[in-house]
Amino acid sequence: MALWVDKYRPRELSKLDFHKDQAENLRNLCKQSDFPHLMFYGPSGAGKKTRIMCLLREMYGSGVERLRSETMTFTTPSNRKVEVMTVSSNYHLEVNPSDAGMYDRTVVIDLIKQVAQTHQIEISGQREFKVIVISEGDELTKDAQHALRRTMEKYVATCRIIISVNSTSRIIPAIRSRCLGIRVAAPNETEIVSILQNTCKREGLALPVELAKRVVDKSERNLRRALLMLEAAKVAKAPFTANQEIPDLDWQVFLRETASQIISEQTPAKLEKIRERLYELLTQGVPPNLIFRGLVEQLVNNCDMSIKAKTLEFATEYEHRMQSGAKHIFHLEAFVAQFMNIYKKFLSELDMTDDF
Amino acid sequence: MDQYPDENEEFELQYQDELELLEDLPDEFNAYDGPSTSKQAAEKQKENRAPVAALRDSTRLGNSTLGSPQLSQITFGASQLGGEEEAEGTSSGGQVNRRLFGTPKGPPVGRGCSTPFQRMPAIQELENTQLTSRSYGLEKENAAANQLQEVGLKNVNKRRLERDLFGDIDDLFHESYEDPMVKKARTEEQRDHEAIERILELRRKMRESSKTLRKDDVSRLKALHDFKMRNLSYEIPNWPFLAIQRSDLERIYVRFHSEDYEQRQLDLISARGEVVGSLLGEAKDKIWQEAGEIVLSRATAAEDADVTLVNSNANSEPGRLWVDKYKPRKYIDLLSDEMTNRSLLYWLKMWDKVVFGKAFHSKREQEAVTGEGGTAGGAANQLNSFNKRTGKFESNGGWRQRKSRQALNTNVDALGRPMQKVALLCGPPGLGKTTLAHTIARHAGYNVREINASDDRSPEAFKLALENGTQMSSVLNEDKRPNCIVLDEIDGAPRQSIDYLVKFISDAVYTKVKAKGAKAEHNVLKRPIICICNDVYDPALRPLRQVAFVVTFPPIDAARLAERLVKIAFKEQLKTDFGSLIALAEKSGNDVRSCISSMQFFNAQKHSLTLQDVLNNNLGQKDRHQGLFAVWDAIFRIQRPRKTLHTDANKVDEPAQVTMTNTSVTTRVRNVLEVVHSSGDYERLTQGVYENYLQQKMPDPNFTGVCEALKWFCFTDTVQHQISRQQNYSVYPYLQYGFVAWHLLFATLAWPKIAFPTRGFEFQQKSTNQRNIFQALCKGVTTSALGVGQGGTLLLDTVPLLKRILSPQLRSVAVQLLSPKEQQDLRHTIEVMVDLGLTFVQVKSQEGHYVFQTEPDLDALSAFPGYTGLSLPYFSRQLIAREVDLERIRRAAPKGGAPSAPAAKKKTSGAAAQLPNHLQTLKPKPISASNMHSAPKQQLTKDFFGRITHKSTSTNSAEESKTDAIVKSPIWYRYKEGFNNAVRKDVHIHELL
Repeated sequence: MALWVDKYRPRELSKLDFHKDQAENLRNLCKQSDFPHLMFYGPSGAGKKTRIMCLLREMYGSGVERLRSETMTFTTPSNRKVEVMTVSSNYHLEVNPSDAGMYDRTVVIDLIKQVAQTHQIEISGQREFKVIVISEGDELTKDAQHALRRTMEKYVATCRIIISVNSTSRIIPAIRSRCLGIRVAAPNETEIVSILQNTCKREGLALPVELAKRVVDKSERNLRRALLMLEAAKVAKAPFTANQEIPDLDWQVFLRETASQIISEQTPAKLEKIRERLYELLTQGVPPNLIFRGLVEQLVNNCDMSIKAKTLEFATEYEHRMQSGAKHIFHLEAFVAQFMNIYKKFLSELDMTDDF
Repeated sequence: MDQYPDENEEFELQYQDELELLEDLPDEFNAYDGPSTSKQAAEKQKENRAPVAALRDSTRLGNSTLGSPQLSQITFGASQLGGEEEAEGTSSGGQVNRRLFGTPKGPPVGRGCSTPFQRMPAIQELENTQLTSRSYGLEKENAAANQLQEVGLKNVNKRRLERDLFGDIDDLFHESYEDPMVKKARTEEQRDHEAIERILELRRKMRESSKTLRKDDVSRLKALHDFKMRNLSYEIPNWPFLAIQRSDLERIYVRFHSEDYEQRQLDLISARGEVVGSLLGEAKDKIWQEAGEIVLSRATAAEDADVTLVNSNANSEPGRLWVDKYKPRKYIDLLSDEMTNRSLLYWLKMWDKVVFGKAFHSKREQEAVTGEGGTAGGAANQLNSFNKRTGKFESNGGWRQRKSRQALNTNVDALGRPMQKVALLCGPPGLGKTTLAHTIARHAGYNVREINASDDRSPEAFKLALENGTQMSSVLNEDKRPNCIVLDEIDGAPRQSIDYLVKFISDAVYTKVKAKGAKAEHNVLKRPIICICNDVYDPALRPLRQVAFVVTFPPIDAARLAERLVKIAFKEQLKTDFGSLIALAEKSGNDVRSCISSMQFFNAQKHSLTLQDVLNNNLGQKDRHQGLFAVWDAIFRIQRPRKTLHTDANKVDEPAQVTMTNTSVTTRVRNVLEVVHSSGDYERLTQGVYENYLQQKMPDPNFTGVCEALKWFCFTDTVQHQISRQQNYSVYPYLQYGFVAWHLLFATLAWPKIAFPTRGFEFQQKSTNQRNIFQALCKGVTTSALGVGQGGTLLLDTVPLLKRILSPQLRSVAVQLLSPKEQQDLRHTIEVMVDLGLTFVQVKSQEGHYVFQTEPDLDALSAFPGYTGLSLPYFSRQLIAREVDLERIRRAAPKGGAPSAPAAKKKTSGAAAQLPNHLQTLKPKPISASNMHSAPKQQLTKDFFGRITHKSTSTNSAEESKTDAIVKSPIWYRYKEGFNNAVRKDVHIHELL
């Protein structure tokens, strides 16, 4: 309970700071004796997990907050053991299947079977089902999602599933249709500013409005990131000033520099150096699709309007191909080389135009 | 009329004696060891003989025949009366006749014995009496004439016997030289170097055989001739003499010798055989005669060979494979490297002492033999046993072994065997290793017994075959050749068999002695063993490789193989040219078997073999595995020889109008596909091309080629992913075409600079390390810190900012001296670290300094070059580490309060246990309680009924009072509407009793 993101986290639906109408709807949903499978979707840092925990507390009471960590071991059909970290209470279980990598299908099936096969012993005053929370649901492989279809239907009497995803486009339509979609939008600037100011008030600090707005812009309306940035800024310099430096994410700065190097020079030697930088990003765990998006944003901002469309076209093409491959470095470098190609042609045409 | 046959006989004698004289002259000259005066006399004799050879020869023969009876007559006449003298003369002639005709093999022996016997008493008596008279001469002349006729007839008989013996020997002599003659002819036709060497070898063999023959048969004639030359003269000599006059009035001087000279002569006779043997090989006349005979036999052999060739062609043409038909059958026909051939032949020849009893180093061995003082008789026995019986052959071998043991040759062991008992031929298939082993073993005089080690896999069968091959010989083998074992494909044999082979080679004596118990016989290895394998570095062959004579086969020269193929094509009337055959040899990797089979295939189709046919067909393509760098070279480099060949192809294809560029590209594509197909690791090859293609010098200003190449990389990745995830191997062949595209984009004529791909591997390793550190961090996060997120969110959002949150600015002072703000910051840092399961651990860096680093290592996570991680100094880290440990202990303290919690639980459980009893007694009450609960709701809904609200409160208070009354006193009163006469009270039984 030391970091601000945990210290000042709402614990009940009535104490949420934004999306209060949605909270009211969730509360009404809990009053029913039964509710369907749920899918919370929205960008990262919007409060999906917080709302899931508040919902569970509304259903089961404060016992939900007594959590314990557990490492569960699953055996794949090829006799390979996979360990997955889970957080559970007496009423629910929370798991992140993407930790298992390509073996998430086994994790999903066996986990739901273990939970669903045990009925509730004491039904008076409680729900008849348990809840399984699947974090980062859009990281599930297609096989795992297809396996989840029948499992959701088969064990619906004793088990309900709440999936938390960033985007529903990567969830197969069968799963989407079996879940009630609840959209959790990112908070707007005013809401984040008020949240930050309340937090600083409780911490005994004075937060200038200009600094709060700059933090909101830099965090891209990600509340977790905003709170962490504010806390890091507080450690760097205690009395807040309107123009003080806000710490940035290292991988974003590195990615930005990579894009600027692509713009500055287009040679095979430079392409080889760019490859090294891409390897570095992939090694540190930055997802390749995030790398693609970061590169595209920086390159599109720094190039002419005439080649923006081509750049976006090639980016979408290579990212789509990357989903069907395993060596991401090939596709990233292919996109970089293609951009160098069209940028060089643009520059040469520009020179010819100047001559004319 | 009687004189006419005498003249014929004399003519024959003249002819043979001329030959003998020509042969004997240099020997006599070299061997003569007398004083200078004797040498001068010999020279004078030669000078006298030169101008009138024929007359002197005839006269000398007559003198020799007359000399002996004259000497005998003189002695008898001097000692006794004239009449008795005549009678005794006739009796002595009769004795001689009886001795000569008594035994068929006796004549030479008898003659050899009689000559010195007669000479000795004659010399003594002559020394005693020196009387001479003409009258005695006349009478004796008549008797001498009669005896002369008889002696002439006898001589004729002896000469015929010698001819018979000599003729047989000549046949044996010529037969032994058939093979080298044929080989010699072929070497002369092919190469001068080989021809010279083979001529020298043949000469050595001829010398050896001629020496051995000469000792046996011609030594007697030579001895007799030497004796005559030293003791008879036509001129007045310097030594003491006795003058004798013949019938034609020519004087002959006979020499007188002392007793000491007589002893020396006896000694010389004992040593004469060796001298003769050592010198006979260098006689020019003999060599000339042998050369003539060789030419004649070669002509006859060639005719026979032609006939046999015609027959074989006619008979076996329909169904015989060319690989068997044109297999090398003689040493000259071998295609492999000459040094390899000679080294193996040398090794086999080193076994000659043990197997054949021959001397391996001829000069040294012969000197040793002569030095030992062996007699001519002994040599004759040795040779006789070699020619006639096999039983004594071994005994001769033993004799030779003793001699060689004394020689102490460093390359052989005590028994005369080479130190390396086994030869190991290794090389790729198709080079003719088995053919070489068979041909050289047969050439060295062995009977080849082949054991395919991969067929007889069981150790028992291998052992049986090995022992039988080395200790037995075939009964049906007419040549009586010893066995030579060839273990083919030894690398396919099981390890136990090879281990037994190594023991068999080295510990044969020990095992045999153990096996036979008390027997004293030692069964040592006396036969060579040749092993053939493809991979000499097979693990099973390791013990054998250490003790064997390893012969590595270099590849066959393409030109040499093409020459052989040209000859085969000529014989089989296949129309082709040298260039096509060279291309065929190169395409098959100089594989002889593959080339000949391909030629037979083309001949069966009745087409002419052209360069285009060779290049277009897939025949001769073996499953060859190439290395990674060879494949990368082929991808990044355009091969020049291919262009040259296609220029020829272009000329051939002029009617088809094939252009140069298209042919070149087509050839390059085909070459790359073949090379890539030969090595099957496509993923590693792709990684190598990916890490090296940007370093190639390419004129690509707009990155068009690079983009195209990267599209092919993406395609390859997609196909590879499909194969590994879906196991869809039908798309596997498409992986090769990426290499073709990269070859066409980046290949140059220059030599490429290729480095082994390591970045992909390093990237994977680093990713694995990062993933492990991150998993450790996830496990350490406690349940009270779930706001930091999970999975990628924790890594991307929390970890970079966490490094700054955990870097407070602290002064290097004690905890108590910190300012309130600093203490607050320190407290905050410690709590965050405990929540996330982090701590500082002291480790030793590579430079030897002690540093505190987080456990798990946050500095490694999200660590980009040029960005700093935690910025705490050493003292601050140490301070925080201590405080973190204290905080953990403090948080673990509530667990110490556990004994109180169970007590509280027990109390609560006790209360629960008690309550049910009360509840059971109060069962009717809950229903009323529920009714009361519903009642207040109704009242609340109905605002007008204030009295009902009071009632509910009163009922509540009434319940409380009742419970209190029940708890306190045993008497309780229950009001019911109606009767009021019932009072209840607890009564004890003892009060009633």
